[in-house]
Amino acid sequence: MFIFLKKLLLSLALFFTLLTSSITQIQASTGDTVTVYSSRKEHLIKPLFKQFTKDTGIKVKYLTGKGGDLIERLKLEGDKTPADMFMTVDAGDLWYAGTQNIFQSVSSDIINSNIPSHLRDPDGLWTGLSVRARTIVYSTDRVSPDELSTYADLANAKWSGKLCLRTSKKIYTKSLVASIIHNQGNENAKQIINGWVSNLAAVPNAKDSHIMNAIIAGQCDVGIVNTYYFGRLIEKSPDAPLKLYWANQDSTGVHVNVSGAGVTKYAPKLKGSTKLLEWLSSAKAQAIYASLNKEYPANQNIASDEIVSSWGSFKQDKMNLSIAGKLQSEAVTLMQRQGYK
Amino acid sequence: MLRNTITRSNIWVSLLAIIVSLPMLVVASSWLIPISDLWLHFAQSLLPELITSTLILLAGVAIGVSILGSVLAYLVVMVEFPGRRWLEWALFLPFAVPAYVMAFVYLGVFDYSGYAQVIIRDITGLPGFDIRSGHWAIILTFVLVFYPYVYMMARASFKCQKIQMIEAGKMLGANPLRVFLRISMPLARPAIAAGVLVTLMETLADFGVVSLFNYSTFTTAIYSAWGDFRSIEVAAQLASLLVLVAFFLIYFERKARGKAKYYSTEVTDIKPYRATGLIGWLIFLFVFGVFMLAFAMPILQIIIWSSSVFKEEWSLKYLDYFSSTFILTLSAAILTVIVAALLALPRDRVKNSKVVQALIRLSTLGYALPGSVMAVGLLYLVQNISTVSIYFGGSSINHILFGSIALLLFAYISRFIAIAYNSANASSDQIKPVYGHSAKLLGASRFRLVMEVYLPMMAPGILAGGLLVAVDVMKELPATYLLRPFGWDTLAVRVYELSAEGLFERASVPALIMVIFGASLLFIFHRLDSNKI
Repeated sequence: MFIFLKKLLLSLALFFTLLTSSITQIQASTGDTVTVYSSRKEHLIKPLFKQFTKDTGIKVKYLTGKGGDLIERLKLEGDKTPADMFMTVDAGDLWYAGTQNIFQSVSSDIINSNIPSHLRDPDGLWTGLSVRARTIVYSTDRVSPDELSTYADLANAKWSGKLCLRTSKKIYTKSLVASIIHNQGNENAKQIINGWVSNLAAVPNAKDSHIMNAIIAGQCDVGIVNTYYFGRLIEKSPDAPLKLYWANQDSTGVHVNVSGAGVTKYAPKLKGSTKLLEWLSSAKAQAIYASLNKEYPANQNIASDEIVSSWGSFKQDKMNLSIAGKLQSEAVTLMQRQGYK
Repeated sequence: MLRNTITRSNIWVSLLAIIVSLPMLVVASSWLIPISDLWLHFAQSLLPELITSTLILLAGVAIGVSILGSVLAYLVVMVEFPGRRWLEWALFLPFAVPAYVMAFVYLGVFDYSGYAQVIIRDITGLPGFDIRSGHWAIILTFVLVFYPYVYMMARASFKCQKIQMIEAGKMLGANPLRVFLRISMPLARPAIAAGVLVTLMETLADFGVVSLFNYSTFTTAIYSAWGDFRSIEVAAQLASLLVLVAFFLIYFERKARGKAKYYSTEVTDIKPYRATGLIGWLIFLFVFGVFMLAFAMPILQIIIWSSSVFKEEWSLKYLDYFSSTFILTLSAAILTVIVAALLALPRDRVKNSKVVQALIRLSTLGYALPGSVMAVGLLYLVQNISTVSIYFGGSSINHILFGSIALLLFAYISRFIAIAYNSANASSDQIKPVYGHSAKLLGASRFRLVMEVYLPMMAPGILAGGLLVAVDVMKELPATYLLRPFGWDTLAVRVYELSAEGLFERASVPALIMVIFGASLLFIFHRLDSNKI
């Protein structure tokens, strides 16, 4: 029985050491350290922060999580939050965080000259830092590019049983549909989604990479993906019978989304975090963004990665991205009504 | 005097049960908020489909795991066949693999673009099919992932069955199948029901597998309310309905069990049947086939994937991932087990109040809540405490508790108490009241009775529960992801972050480490278990 008691005491001791250590950890976060909450994944932000520390001597502490979770946590932590910056991967999340009184407005000439205005919040609450284009991908074996034109055209009955789409639960789909609602109105958007759903070759996929695999395997012929997923696939298997097609070039342009960040309202390290945000928009950081994930740099002076530039240039949809955020719940309602899973 | 002490222990137990239930009670309190318009939209466009598909999924999984789990357990306990000894323990191994990892492997291999289908199409010329449409593929996935719960409990129950009853059946000329259906199965029914109950609660709370299959269950609506419509209130209201479903499941399980107690405490290791020759090898093939499909094949796939990217993915960071996982797993398991043991200690049956029993039951319902809902409930709990503290002139404690180990461990206890409690309770149920009476007659204090009689007798159940909790904590993602402190990334977090980006090959590196760690925990479990016999 002594053994049991000993174990009990030992574990309680362990528990309290852990408890106190985690509290001291929070208190120890003084000094030149900026704290970031991020829904951009660790392997995509760590190299950036490392370089920032090298350049400025300011350390960066980060915690990754889901966008919605982190926003909730920031709200509840209020003016005591340890976070100086919130970073996320979708304009809808950035817009929503803006409405929740989490960000503070930053007006910086450096950011304004580095990042074009449609990729920034009109009130300076957040800044886009990398651009992801969502466009059509097709099988080079079974589809000729002449047959393709717009997102809306994929609702045409000629694609019946040939279309693969990503789930409506994914934020990229929601933002795309929000842009269609903005550009073409709710009624047209409804027709388009209805057509998409009846053209589906398979249950909507959980991942963009699954869509491309399905096209290669012959389950479907066309799909809609973020270009960096295509970039990663082509880097690994350059001979894959797939190609990107720039959608809506004669009308509104390709739907783009951003990953971005903003300084939190109660940032304990206002100066350091503003500096980090400015640095992230700089040429050096933007080049890292471009090479890490095959995204488009938000800073237009920086060239894309080699594979990315080989796809050629395209016309972007210049809709201000906060609109995508505003229309997101309307987009979801529409998709759920039309049975887009 | 005596009455007083008993009531006092009842009060302590009730208090403990209430504390453990707090996150769930906060979630349920969302019903105090007026119903939003969102309900109308959900009722029109989502709920009809997902209630049907949730029910189909639950029914399919329940039938699947109860058949597979109990047949395997029966074969392993009652029949001597080639390879039985190692298969008996190998069948536990799928426990070590997180359900979402299993799902991405199965999809990678068996979906339209998976190589298994490509090869079959090439050979036979048959058209391919989408395994994510319909219900059977996801049901099968859940069955292969969760059958060990039923297997484990049915196996323990078969081992305790009186061999004489089976011998009697044999003497009366019943064939093995009839003995199985008419004697062994009815005797093991409570154990099987308990295993099915755990499985169904896991299935209800699952988000990883259903989102990879893009299958609609109740959690779909919960996440839609929160993620799409930013309404935590509706998400919490929906989630508390899950708790209600779990409540009914437990109720039916209790009913199925009835007052029956068929256990004998003696455990024998005599096999009533020997299968030799062709039948023996057929049984081997079947059991081995399950093991291959549920463990060996997925693991082989993970090994192949991870070896192709190991250099790219491996770094010293993995020491951190592993130590975080290890420390959290260990401390959560120990704490959960302590709480569970306190709740499950035998109490004087005469004075055993129905209210206390109900509170304990309530505290185990959290298992059916999706981890992230439980975690947010916990954040709001802290927020409520802060509000009270500010009201009385204090300050907010949110920033101290959020992202502290203490809160995360509390979430684990709240979520996994059901497993530890069920296991501890099963052993305490076997303690006859006579022990308590004789101890009292001899003038022993309650403390001595607990320390020297009850706890040692409950030890096997407590240990088994602790190991199961440890494996579950190791695999846990949503609560960990939301509540962990800075720098406490676990292996599960790493798997999620990579696979969310579609980098399945790289994700298989941390997944493989998890499986090895989980398998070692199960091995300890196995050793303890076989020492008992």
